[in-house]
Formats: sequence, structure tokens, C-alpha cells
Amino acid sequence: MKIVTKAENLENHKKYIFILQLIDDFLQKKDYQKIDLPVLSPSLIPESYLEVFETEFKFLDKKEKLYLTPSPELFLKRLLAYKIGNCYYLGKSFRNSDPPSSLHSFEFTMLEFYKVNADYMNIADEVLEMLRYINKKVKSKKLKVKSQNSGLRHLSHQGFRSQEGYGGQVKVKSDLGLKINLDKWEKISVAEAFEKYTGISEKELFNHQLFLEKAKKKGYQVEKFSYEDVWSQIYVQEIEPHLGKNGYPTLIYDYPKEFAALAKLNSDGQTAQRFEFYINGVELGDCYTELSDWKEQKDRFIKEYLERKQNKKINHPIDKGFIQALKYGFPESAGIAIGVERLAAVFLNLNSINELKVINIE
Amino acid sequence: MRINAGNLKKGDFIHYQNEIWQVQKAEFYSPGKGSALMKTKLWNVKSGKNIDVTFKSVEEVEVVDVESRLMTFLYKDNENLYFMDEKTFNQYPVLLSSVSGLEKYLKEGDKLYVYLYDERPLSVRAPLSVRLKVVEAEEAVKADTVSGAKKPVKLETGAVIMAPLFIKVGDVVIVNPETGEYTGREGK
Repeated sequence: MKIVTKAENLENHKKYIFILQLIDDFLQKKDYQKIDLPVLSPSLIPESYLEVFETEFKFLDKKEKLYLTPSPELFLKRLLAYKIGNCYYLGKSFRNSDPPSSLHSFEFTMLEFYKVNADYMNIADEVLEMLRYINKKVKSKKLKVKSQNSGLRHLSHQGFRSQEGYGGQVKVKSDLGLKINLDKWEKISVAEAFEKYTGISEKELFNHQLFLEKAKKKGYQVEKFSYEDVWSQIYVQEIEPHLGKNGYPTLIYDYPKEFAALAKLNSDGQTAQRFEFYINGVELGDCYTELSDWKEQKDRFIKEYLERKQNKKINHPIDKGFIQALKYGFPESAGIAIGVERLAAVFLNLNSINELKVINIE
Repeated sequence: MRINAGNLKKGDFIHYQNEIWQVQKAEFYSPGKGSALMKTKLWNVKSGKNIDVTFKSVEEVEVVDVESRLMTFLYKDNENLYFMDEKTFNQYPVLLSSVSGLEKYLKEGDKLYVYLYDERPLSVRAPLSVRLKVVEAEEAVKADTVSGAKKPVKLETGAVIMAPLFIKVGDVVIVNPETGEYTGREGK
């Protein structure tokens, strides 16, 4: 890996910084308390599907392992248990093992906010309002757009000498902001999406054996793979490309309980109160009605911990204080995590989060 | 040979649904629900059709054992690039659509590896770098350092790339032909 300086992205970067400001403005106007948090922690929430970064604190002959936080969840939820009310974190999070791509970086900026006395659909309303706010402000801002690229196009078609304004900056009409309608969500449940886009019925979706049989018929490799693995593959291959492309942002909700993570289950017992939202096929956020039952949470932690162990992931300590916090009395609440670089790239009509960065590790 | 889909990379040829495809794009993807995936764009060597296929990163795929043979680039037309095997003097057409823009950086007489399967040319292996002469470049102007950090220059093959301000007509620049990025200047 190397440090790459991309000063040519400065104008995009400025717009990205502007969007960060808009997020702060919006949430603070709505009385969410901004919280600054550590990114190094001695223990974490065990999550079987992601890998973490491990480091060490050293003092004389003492050593202690520390881990870069893959999300601020463990800290914010502690604070919620102390009844601090609606709150948010806007800052760095870290996830190991995935190579950098147009949509992912191992170090990224995350917005995570929590609302008390709320469920996931209340968060959905809040997010939509925030998208409208950002869109309005981004569209109305007078932005200078660099002519570097248009100069290049000019050159390649007409040769060098005829071009004008090359190398300078020109003011052009802003084509920033979303082209889609933000008046409402396109809401679709996971079961409806499977039925509509993959032909897998609700009955097949929630029965592991029927699901894997159907997947095999569709040509997927199922031997030696879990329900979760095959489910995820079909979801990405056949459903994701349709989301956020019907003129509205898409909210896809009620995931099978296998994907409940830290979300509360619905009364049907087979789905969790979790939604994700998409614009133009890109997943931007992941929301749960938070599980407040500490016993259930502890069981899920143990399951995730064992899966991590089995998959030879870094064996970090479980954050036991988190379970204590839930025991202490966790308020009914819901929260969402949003990838801010992705969100900004979508608003600025860029194909890659890397176009927002002036310094990048590649 | 069977490999994990997580190890697929751009340019690989694979058997998929009884046909041969070249991987045009391979991106690792962790959706946070289920284990990691490999999102690929595959190009069918027969029909030229592109499809998007998502593999589980630990799923096995059959990699096609293709032969790569050093050949000389002769010329191109609207559909093909033409190469010659210097030993047999046989000519091989390679579809332009299979080289994803590489043709912009090729000069007559360049030696490249052509991928063959059953004597059928499939594609060309992109060299890590090419060295090309600059034929048009604007004089460096005093601009602010940000917008002035790079400028477009035209190369002898007609391709236009972004290069640092100090590059002049006659310089030989080193370019990554896969990305079109300037990577250096040949010393004088």
C-alpha cells in the first residue's frame, strides 16, 4: 500500500466536507447530541461477519491489546443506558479484510444516530427528512466546478489549440443532488423483494431446506454453504441491483432472524426489525429497532463469538459492560449507521468514494 | 484448475455455465449479512456479452488454462486488433471489445502476449507499463497548485492522458495502459 495524494479531488472534497456540515446541522437542529468517542477499545461487540484491526498499547514492560472500533455502537448504547437521550457520532470506523473498492475503504466515516422511544420506522422518517435537507442545500449551493475534465474532453475531440479556459475554473450550473424523488420511500419487505425479483416465495425464504433447494435449482452452489451465505449471494446478485432505482430511495425491511444482529425480533418470530436503504443500487444505511433484552443479547453474543472463533477471526474480548448496560435498563430505541462517503458520492453523482479523497491509502 | 472466487482477478478466464468468460472486473464485497462475496463482471469470449455475477468468495470456480504466446501487434480496424506469431507468421484477430481500452496505447510492432484457447485468440495481456512519446503538450502555465498539478498531454498513439506540468513535447512518458495513468518519465 502507498499514500496517494489526489489534490485534483479538492473541489469534490470541499463538497464532501459541506455534506458533513449539513449532517451536523440537521441532527443538532433536531436536538441530537453529538458525541466524540474513542476509536480504540480493549473489547468489542462480537460480529461474525467482519474482521477488526488489532493493535497494542505498550508502557515499559506492560502490554495491552486494543482494537479499532468497527462501529461506535458499543459506546453509544452504553450512554443510552445512562439516559442521555437522542445522540449521534460522526467519525471514523474501521473494518479489516475487505480490499478497498469504489464503495468500501477499511477506514471510513460513519454516521450513527439513535433515537429513544422510537422504532426503526421512526428512524426511516428521520432519514428521509435528512436526505431532503441535504439535497436542498447541495442543490442550492453555488459550486465551482473544475474545468479540468471538460478540458480533457475538448482536447481529445478537437486537438489542443482550440480549447478555452483550460486549467482554470469556471462556474457552471450545478448538476449536483439527487435526481430521484424524496417525497417518500419505496418500501418493500425482504420477503416481497425475494418474491418479486428472485421468484423465491415467502415459504421458501424462511425454511432453510426449501431455500437451499430452490437456490440449487437456480444454479447456485449450495453444498458446504450455510443458509446465510447463499441468502446473501442471491440478495446481492438478484435484489440489490433493483433497489433505489424506481424513482425513489428504497427502504427494504424485516430481514430474516438470522440477520437480526442487534435488532429486535418482530412478533412473527421469523423476522427482525431491521431495514437498509438504497439509492441507485448502493446500500447507504442499516437500521435496527434495538434489542433491549439483555439475555437474548447475551445469547446472540455467544453465538457470534463462537462463529468468529470457528472462522479463525481475531479473538478479541467481548464487551461485557455492554450487556451490563442493557441489564441496567436500556431505553426503547432505534438507531442507524450510514456510510457517509457513500452518501456524499451519491449526492455528488460520483462513481467512487475515492473521488472524494485528497489523501488516500491504496 | 479450481480456485476460490475470492482470488479471481481482472483478466482471468473461467468456465461458467458451460461457456468461457473473461473476468473484466472483480470486486470483493462484504455486505455485512453472510460471508464475503466476489462481485464480478464477466465477458463472454464467444458472444461478447457482459453479465454481472456474484460469487461467494470461498466458492470454487474453474479457471480455464489458456496459452499465452508472444506476438507482434500489426494494426487495428474497427473490430479487431491484428497480431502475428513471428514463428509461424500466422495472423490472429483479437476483438477490440476484449481489451478494454488497451488499444489506445499500442504501437505497430509492439510485442504482447496473446491469450489463446484451442488456437483461438481470446484477449491480450496488458503490459504493466508502456513507454510513449508526447506529441502535444501545453506549456506549463502558472496556475494554482491544485488545478495546475496535472495537464492533458497527447501521446504518439493519439491517446490523451493527464501528466504533471513539467512534461514537454518529445518526452517519453510511462503509462499504465489499464488505467491510463501517468506513472513516470523516462530518464534522458
